Amino acid sequence: MAQDRGALMTELCNDPVMLEHWHPVVSLEELRRHGRCRTMLLDRAVEIVAQGEGAVVRCEAALVGSLVQYGYVWASFGEAPKPLFAVPEFDEADRRFVVTGVFGVQVSAGRAIENFLDMGHFPYVHAGILGEEPHTEVKDYDVEVSQNRDEILATRCRFYQPKAAVSSDAGAEVDYIYRVPHPNCAVLYKSSPMDAARLDVIYIFVQPMGQERIRAHTGMCIIDDASSDLEIRSFQQTIFGQDKPILENQYPRRLPLDPRAETPIRADKSAIAYRRWLASKGLRWGVIPAGV
Amino acid sequence: MKLYDFELHAECYAARLMLSLLGVPHEVETVDVYPEAAHLTPAFRAINPLGRVPVLEDGALRFGTVQGILAYLAAAYDTSGQWAPDTAVLRGEVAGWMAIAAELAATAGQARLIETMFAQGDAEAARAGAEGLLRVIDQHLWFGEVEGRDWLCSAPHPTIADIACFPHLVLSEDGGISRQDYPAIRRWIDRVKRLPGFTVMSGVFATSSAL
Amino acid sequence: MMDLAGWHPIAAATDVVRRHVFHGQLLGREVAVWRADDGFVNVWENRCLHRGVRLSMGLNDGRELRCLYHGWRYANRSAGCTYIPAHPADAPARRICNRTYPGVEAAGMIWSAVAPEAEFALPEVLVGTDPLVLRPVSVNAAPGVALSMAEGLVPGGSVARGASVLFGQAGLVVFVQPLDAHRCVLRGVLLRQPEDRIAALRDHDGLLCALREGIEAAGEAAPAPLEVSFQPVDEALGQMPARGVGGGELRVQVTRKWAAAEGIVGVQLRALRGVLPTFQPGAHIDVHLPNGMRRPYSIVNAPGEEGYTIGVKRDDAGRGGSICLHDAVRQGDVLAISAPRNTFPLRRDSERVLLIAGGIGITPMLAMAQALAVQGIAYALHVFARSAAHVPFAERLEGLAVTRHLGLDAAQTGAALSGILSGYAFSHHVYACGPAPMLSAARQIAAAQGWTEEAVHLEYFANPEAIDDSSAFEIALARSAMTLQVPAGRTILQVLQENGVDLPSSCEQGACGTCVCGVLEGDVAHQDVYLSASEHAANDRIMTCVSRAKSARLVLDI
Ligand SMILES: [Fe+2]
Repeated sequence: MAQDRGALMTELCNDPVMLEHWHPVVSLEELRRHGRCRTMLLDRAVEIVAQGEGAVVRCEAALVGSLVQYGYVWASFGEAPKPLFAVPEFDEADRRFVVTGVFGVQVSAGRAIENFLDMGHFPYVHAGILGEEPHTEVKDYDVEVSQNRDEILATRCRFYQPKAAVSSDAGAEVDYIYRVPHPNCAVLYKSSPMDAARLDVIYIFVQPMGQERIRAHTGMCIIDDASSDLEIRSFQQTIFGQDKPILENQYPRRLPLDPRAETPIRADKSAIAYRRWLASKGLRWGVIPAGV
Repeated sequence: MKLYDFELHAECYAARLMLSLLGVPHEVETVDVYPEAAHLTPAFRAINPLGRVPVLEDGALRFGTVQGILAYLAAAYDTSGQWAPDTAVLRGEVAGWMAIAAELAATAGQARLIETMFAQGDAEAARAGAEGLLRVIDQHLWFGEVEGRDWLCSAPHPTIADIACFPHLVLSEDGGISRQDYPAIRRWIDRVKRLPGFTVMSGVFATSSAL
Repeated sequence: MMDLAGWHPIAAATDVVRRHVFHGQLLGREVAVWRADDGFVNVWENRCLHRGVRLSMGLNDGRELRCLYHGWRYANRSAGCTYIPAHPADAPARRICNRTYPGVEAAGMIWSAVAPEAEFALPEVLVGTDPLVLRPVSVNAAPGVALSMAEGLVPGGSVARGASVLFGQAGLVVFVQPLDAHRCVLRGVLLRQPEDRIAALRDHDGLLCALREGIEAAGEAAPAPLEVSFQPVDEALGQMPARGVGGGELRVQVTRKWAAAEGIVGVQLRALRGVLPTFQPGAHIDVHLPNGMRRPYSIVNAPGEEGYTIGVKRDDAGRGGSICLHDAVRQGDVLAISAPRNTFPLRRDSERVLLIAGGIGITPMLAMAQALAVQGIAYALHVFARSAAHVPFAERLEGLAVTRHLGLDAAQTGAALSGILSGYAFSHHVYACGPAPMLSAARQIAAAQGWTEEAVHLEYFANPEAIDDSSAFEIALARSAMTLQVPAGRTILQVLQENGVDLPSSCEQGACGTCVCGVLEGDVAHQDVYLSASEHAANDRIMTCVSRAKSARLVLDI
């Protein structure tokens, strides 16, 4: 409700976990289109201005640390931000990198990432596209928290998808691998209908504007020379548009880290690992920490 | 027949919904409205000088506003005569609700574009304007239920007025407008969703069967 | 702080229409309010316990509420989860239940309370009236502010002390429902039905709207919304892997007992107080009988139905349980039963489901058929019986996709099964319950026709095999750090129970699957009919009531 907003904006984020990360603030595409972009990051108003190939980010006239990578401008308020994660596939020359848009969502970053990792909702929220009743089973998969890379990796994920191949109308199981290399960013690898040996990459980079308000930057990096950018964008926007009302109706909006706040099942292994991983970092902003 | 369309656009949804309810075969051409703003290019303005979707093309005819599209489809393709009824009372009622649908687009619809796709504007003012309208619509629908009327107009069946208002109301949460205070609107949304030929859009889900 | 104990109207009865979910709020707590087809009004916390998604956007199918996000289904009345589509082969082993608030329908309104200290009592002013409920008018102002301002604005207004009720002239009463600290709803009623109902509704709606305008125009600073804390789920539910253990005993009353067919009685059981726990299709309860016996019976109810109904076939050659139920138990008797346990779970991720019932084996099949019908999954129910008079629950079979096979001998039954089981395809499943020879035939025919073992689900009444209990061995309990000896003539289950290890059990003859236990080490000599051949070969589970060890020692995960 309108009356409820604003109350959360009074305090600025001072959570070191968030302050010490790079955060996406605008895609180069969006920046090129408008020349500048005014937005919010961690409760602070920032302005991004295109400059040469790159950009300058300011917050109340002060310069904010920034870098350009993966087609986005990233900013951090930290002294020595953690280096940005690597996605080697983004550098492969024969892939197409399609920015599918940025959407404002009234939710915490954690809820958005968790939804991105979730397969169980495919037959209900993405009916006819990523899943279809009655094929609702989430088969067992593997999850690990990689210590040296400090990221979550879910492998051997499979889910039934209707019209899985471009060439036929038949449904089939599709393989997925999920990576969460950043508290607010996730990447998924999915079998490519074009090339059986390689995987398409779909990403979500979440820009936390506030604890309960985000900009979700999505895009794909794929092996496909048949579909147009427009088709790829429409597809991804349709998917995200279906997730959005679910995200905005999660109650409470912040991601609860207490294991007893909600009811996990085996299918939620990756979400459980994600919540534990965030808790182990001591994150308090945008989440409901355990024991509160 | 061809519809120039953008999936997430509320008024495009109204056009798709009407086509679906009438069962009119058509092709869809997606316009890259967001983020590419292809609807503002000279090429698209040659199709619709207003620079907006939806646009409906039927042979040599072209309609570039949602009001025009709904009125034309109902007049040309509705054999039942129910969607755009031609009695004096219903004509007046339909015209009135079509105007309110346009006001919804300018308030609830605008709040949605600001919050979701970062359009310029004052979201709080847009929401305040929408709240005033939603209160009136909820009151109207509540008395409708008491008086045995299910739809916005006094006919015993839905009209293009319901279809014009529906997208803005069902998508109001995108603009930060909860429907908790509008129980009669929530029930009317279920009724629309149960119309034969109803179709969803990304972000709108079907409801349970009434039987 | 606001008083959480009080009862308030949260909706009009007419708000809670068929197949709809009303979105309400009381004292900062959002609620999803829905009426099932049987008329019962559910008032639930507006949050699916799985991932917090509002249930007010869920789907009311008349018997269950389905969450939009992952399709979890919650039952009418009990709010218990009946099905988790992501794990279709599992009976939801754990009791997942949404938070509920009390709901009472009275005087044209739905009343609820956050933390009531007393049973609902209709406010004095409404007792004996047939009030006309006005249109609710929500107000962006604190309930207290609205109430005190309204007192001056309503003609002849006066506020009842200590209550959120305002009395005006001409029989107008206004309840101020506190949505939150900063918002409320004016719920007006007229104590007498006026002559011109619609005119009265419109007039008074005008009055309440003007009231709202006055209150909101005053622009009193609104207090911050109430802090709402959510109750954590059970500790066991917070940890991912968990195996259900049947709960304690429940007390129920026999509300109806009738001759359901030749030699079969139907017994309807209702809770003495409150609501019985959620059951899933295929589940059974153990009934504790007056003669001291305890017998499992499948629940035949459709989803969301009140109470439990069972069917009991008289078995003069049996151990006496059915005779006791037929002869000794009467309508009005109070019995103890176990909570429902489901060792015969119904997958609902199937393209098509075949249900095969032999004799009294129709009971779990009925629950399954009714659930599949509600959910719109293709199924066919085949009932084998001696004659039409031997088929119970005719009223439930009406409207189901049922084929009756009457008076067939063994060879004819085999031929009928061959026909039924032809045409296996991916994502088809068959469930059968009936006499052992029929199930053995079904298993063989299905295998011959290409059905995979995972697609064939059988429930035996009893274990047809003779049990060999001559071996002696040792069992080590990994989690309880105990080592026990199982001598010849005693079962693992008996030894466990004698040593205070609580393991649920039911049929105690290797048919029902209740007393299953994980095996960590050692070779199992399986003697049950519950697990399939490949499950036997996996050697990772044991039915402790009949199966034993081939090795000298078994390490059990308990
Ligand atoms: Fe999704």
